[in-house]
Amino acid sequence: MANRTGTGYEVLSPWAEADPISLRGISPRITDLGGKKIGLLRNSKRAALPILNVVEGRLKERFPTAEFTEFANLKPNEAIIEQEAKEKFEDWLKGVDAVVAAFGD
Amino acid sequence: MTLINKGFVKDAESASLSKGMPVLKFLPTSVPCEASLMEDIEAGVDEVMGDIIAALTRPITAEEKSPRPKEREKPARIIFKGSLEEVNRFFYQGGWTDGLPIIPPTEEAIAEMLSGTDLPPDHLLGRLISRLGRATIEKIAINAVMAGALPTYMPVLIAGTKLLLESEPGFMGFTTFGFSTGSWAPFWIINGPIRNDLNLNSGSGALSPGDIANAAIGRAMGLIIKNIGGIRKGVEDMGVMGNPMKYSMVIAENEEESPWEPLHVEYGFGREESTMTVSYPQTYVQHWPYGSDAEGILRSVIDHLPRGMRYTFIFTPPHAKNLAREGWAKDDIKKFISEYARIPGSRFNSMPAIGGVRPGLYKGRISARDSDTVALIGDPRFIRIIVAGGPGAFIAHVVGGGATPGKKQTQKIELPKNWSKLVKKYKNIVPTYAKY
Repeated sequence: MANRTGTGYEVLSPWAEADPISLRGISPRITDLGGKKIGLLRNSKRAALPILNVVEGRLKERFPTAEFTEFANLKPNEAIIEQEAKEKFEDWLKGVDAVVAAFGD
Repeated sequence: MTLINKGFVKDAESASLSKGMPVLKFLPTSVPCEASLMEDIEAGVDEVMGDIIAALTRPITAEEKSPRPKEREKPARIIFKGSLEEVNRFFYQGGWTDGLPIIPPTEEAIAEMLSGTDLPPDHLLGRLISRLGRATIEKIAINAVMAGALPTYMPVLIAGTKLLLESEPGFMGFTTFGFSTGSWAPFWIINGPIRNDLNLNSGSGALSPGDIANAAIGRAMGLIIKNIGGIRKGVEDMGVMGNPMKYSMVIAENEEESPWEPLHVEYGFGREESTMTVSYPQTYVQHWPYGSDAEGILRSVIDHLPRGMRYTFIFTPPHAKNLAREGWAKDDIKKFISEYARIPGSRFNSMPAIGGVRPGLYKGRISARDSDTVALIGDPRFIRIIVAGGPGAFIAHVVGGGATPGKKQTQKIELPKNWSKLVKKYKNIVPTYAKY
């Protein structure tokens, strides 16, 4: 079955090669949260909404002029944003200055 | 920036890299995963409030603005030389095994494995998530050798890999371990003439260890998922409890003793075609029926039903024949189960992620009250019925995830030109137990 040399078995790697993919950077940050619109993005998991509620509350205390808007993907897999809700999600993104995301995992 | 439980940081980094965004900002929190109470959430968020603000306002670096692309890997063809024990230790330490010993994938062993297909070694089937590893025929063969597969399993492994690659978008991660904390495992059903060519077990102990085809095909698929998809336990595979079905869960349908049309014919394939069908269960339940007639069998089925998304019921040939004798077709059974497996409406919570949304009454048109009973499955298309298992009365439920009805879940197995010769060469490899 196996070709054995004087030193034993010469073996090949089971680990697949992967083609390099094009990489994207992140958006420039804002300098101050005051007066900005903060997007709150969450999935369907149990803790996601309460986490963002607490984040929103704490940020409001420190930045009373900040506004908040949320986007929720309540389907059980995240790919929904890439498929069914892509346009809606991208429109939402255009309207915010920064995003805090919470996954309830 | 994203808040994430600290146990998921590596998973999140892997996911963002696979989407081409390796510099996304993740902030680990101490909020317990899927078990958080409000006081823990508040404390966890308070701990990182300063970091949240910093992540939103601190200027980004040049690398964060334009990450440098990775160069293509050029691994050496021979990656290790050593004894059986050394090779096994090397592969285990590289994270390439399922923890059990492997057969060393030497050039000679791989060449023999490749005799099971007409496709050239560099033929690319696609790129498997999450790492988008190149699923070439040679890499499939290498993992097949490691699993102890015979060359005649190659057509099945190629079909299985195609199924993984072409699974319903968004649910592909279920089949490849790298999705969810639910420990979903691929469950492979083989239909058609190839079952007998490979000595796949559809009888006694079909899902137990001891049959090389059932064992090695599932094992090889697990290694393909791991080593071509790049799925690492605790990184992409975040299953909470884990699942022994990930070692191997392969069954053949006992078409010869079934009174019904086999699964692949039900799904539109010819009886003489061979196919592989996948779902991704989490749970395996076995139970004894209340009786051997339709009432005894089917009442016990609905009483033993766990909650899930897709269901495969495995009936033994005698039970299947008893049901058929009383006039039950597969569709009747599916309709019966989906209509009468019911639980109180009050037992549904409000968690859409786990299928917990309370279904309405009559096609969802009327809201169900706590006092109503509602269907646990609801849609008969979420049910699959096959015939397998040995003499005896146990019924099996394989419950978990699966394709949306109408989406791909079955792949035809294509055979090489010299199939008969190959079958002749390897078919006699069967266990002969000692007499005592």
